[in-house]
Amino acid sequence: MKKLLFICITIISIFMITACGNGESKGEETASGETESKESGEKGSDEKQEVIFWHAMGGAGQEALESTVDDFNQSQDNIQVNAEYQGSYDEALTKYQSVAGTDSAPSMMQVFEIGTMTMINSNSIVPIQEFVDSDGYDMSGLEENIINYYKIDDQFYSMPFNSSTPVMYYNKDAFEAAGLDPDTPPETFEEVAEASKIIADKNPEMKGFALQAYGWLVEQLLANQGALLMNNDNGRTDTPTEIGFTEEEGKSIFKWAEKMIADDTFANYGTNGDDMVAGFIAEDVAMFLQSSASARDVIDNAPFEVGIGFLPHPEDKDREGVVIGGASLWMMDGKPEEEQNAAWEFMKYLQTPEVQAKWHVNTGYFAINPEAYEEQVVKDAYQEMPQLQVTVDQLQATKSSYATQGAIMDMIPEARRITETALETVYNGGDVNETYQTAVDQLNQAIEQANAARGK
Amino acid sequence: MNEVAIQSDGVATPDFKKIKKKQQLIRFLKGILFLMPSIILFAVFLFYPLIRTIYLSFFLTDASGSTTVFVGLDNFINMFSSPVFRKSMQSTFLFVIFTVPGTVLIGLFLAILANEKLKGIGFFRTIYSSTMGISVAAGSVFWLFLFNPTMGWLNEILNFFGIEAIGWLTDPSWALLSVSITTIWMNLGFIFLILLGGLQSIDSYLYESAEIDGASYFYKLRRITIPMLSPTLFFVITVSLINAFQTFGQIDMLTSGGPQNETNLIVYSIYQEAFMNYQYGTASAQAVVLFVIILVLTFIQFKLGEKKVHYQ
Repeated sequence: MKKLLFICITIISIFMITACGNGESKGEETASGETESKESGEKGSDEKQEVIFWHAMGGAGQEALESTVDDFNQSQDNIQVNAEYQGSYDEALTKYQSVAGTDSAPSMMQVFEIGTMTMINSNSIVPIQEFVDSDGYDMSGLEENIINYYKIDDQFYSMPFNSSTPVMYYNKDAFEAAGLDPDTPPETFEEVAEASKIIADKNPEMKGFALQAYGWLVEQLLANQGALLMNNDNGRTDTPTEIGFTEEEGKSIFKWAEKMIADDTFANYGTNGDDMVAGFIAEDVAMFLQSSASARDVIDNAPFEVGIGFLPHPEDKDREGVVIGGASLWMMDGKPEEEQNAAWEFMKYLQTPEVQAKWHVNTGYFAINPEAYEEQVVKDAYQEMPQLQVTVDQLQATKSSYATQGAIMDMIPEARRITETALETVYNGGDVNETYQTAVDQLNQAIEQANAARGK
Repeated sequence: MNEVAIQSDGVATPDFKKIKKKQQLIRFLKGILFLMPSIILFAVFLFYPLIRTIYLSFFLTDASGSTTVFVGLDNFINMFSSPVFRKSMQSTFLFVIFTVPGTVLIGLFLAILANEKLKGIGFFRTIYSSTMGISVAAGSVFWLFLFNPTMGWLNEILNFFGIEAIGWLTDPSWALLSVSITTIWMNLGFIFLILLGGLQSIDSYLYESAEIDGASYFYKLRRITIPMLSPTLFFVITVSLINAFQTFGQIDMLTSGGPQNETNLIVYSIYQEAFMNYQYGTASAQAVVLFVIILVLTFIQFKLGEKKVHYQ
């Protein structure tokens, strides 16, 4: 019996040791295998500098990004970029937090715009400005609104990459059937509610409008009426200490939803964006707000003609414009200089008009480099899908102000969840005044907590 | 003479004690040596994280999880005064009440059915336990399709009977129930299998004697099957209770804690605090509370259960 036990234990420990050993040697094998095959493939070339690039692009975005990376790897012989998908923006950032500053950290990483402050505070990144300065690279060619967002304290901490803004998608066929002009989408909250009513009256099977319970959309709807999300000029002049919008501005969105719910023209898909798009494509709802990054996907999949319009605003306020959404690329600290330089080369490559043109038409993200719009690929795509151009027009019509520059604060991810809960409460018949007050209290408390945690 | 005897006695007694003590020490050390592997594993993977969690719960942290400000019991005070956390506690208890009895009762029912000696019963046993082979993620995706508001089967069936569509995962009054149904379905296979195993090990002579006495089917069920099954039932209830408190996967996949925090169970809330809001202090405080709740419940269960459980 004892012998048997002893044998078992020995076998298990041997198994564990070899399992661990295997893992390591496997990694080495593939790494060395790769370099070998490359060396034999391209005679005489030095070993390639490897760049690990963590990103958070799933689905169509991932395909487009990976093909761009492949193009880059083939375009030159010195750098090998390995793109690794790390899950959603939230998940990728969480993973990064646990490896920041260690050898397991990537060379460069894509982080969503609201993670900007978290990254700056993390002390594990190199501001991209250092590379811009030492390389004499000209950042002024980038889209002005993008510069406005990412230039903080007069320097670039990260390299802008994929940028999108929210737009209103609508079903042109449904507009026509309801006797509305399919080429002039409603522009204000009131007009949207009106159009929803007409569509729902004509076709009882179809709801008029859907607003996903998504904090980002609320931020954008606030900015579009010139409201600040956080005080201290959206955190641009000093760390925010409380929310920046007024009661009237904040409530306008809730009241808008409430009105459409009362009219029975509102479709509630909760927090699930995929369900909402599916509902739109199945002709259950005629209009919805969503990131322009989905444009290509929606246009390709809808069996009817899709229209894209500007983000609506309250009637009594002028349209201010939208805030840049999306993500930027961060350079990690503590990596060898050659690796950082290689990553910098890749970042510069991503800014070129050709790459941006391809990226723009394949996804619906903007070209952050406006020269891309002159490329033939983009012109051809606009011929076929003029809707894509609306997203660009909306961005370029944006007035530059603190509101449209967007808020920077490390607790915005939490703020989004608070807003989302509030929206859902209203969608399910909650009282607007009460819900609004609860949300504001929670937001201010979260800001306080975040500031306290920073030791300020 | 007398003196000598006393002396020698005096010398011999401490010697005895010494040897006894020494032997005890050696035995103790031997015992520790054998326990070492599990002590080390527990210490590294359970005790250290536990102590660390309690430590963190008294601090605020930065985004990477290092402590910044000592706040004492503030995390706990804020937590209990927060309506979101109270909602989360309420949902968790409701979820436990929905899922644990449901899973155990349905599992028991199926196990008793499958325990009959019929032709082809193996097929049914396989079917009933098949959900055990499905991962939480795959199961959630499957239910996500059923619940889908646009093309979900459940709503299509309702539609067929002329009933208005239900927002399974978006309607606050339904969401927790929908998640509970999913969970019951997922856990059923495991519970069924354990209970069936318990049923199979009940000696058949008990039933034979009962039959000779002319006992009815339900009498046998009540007087033989359930008492003999009680250790297994006790195990199953304890395990599924703890499991229910720790539910995470299906929440993350199906609702992300929404709508209106209705399905924001405590483990999901901990995850949100720690890995989405980067408030490791608050998250740790919640984890400590969860630990205490499960500890107390398991303790009560053992105290109450011991009396009712019949060990053969």
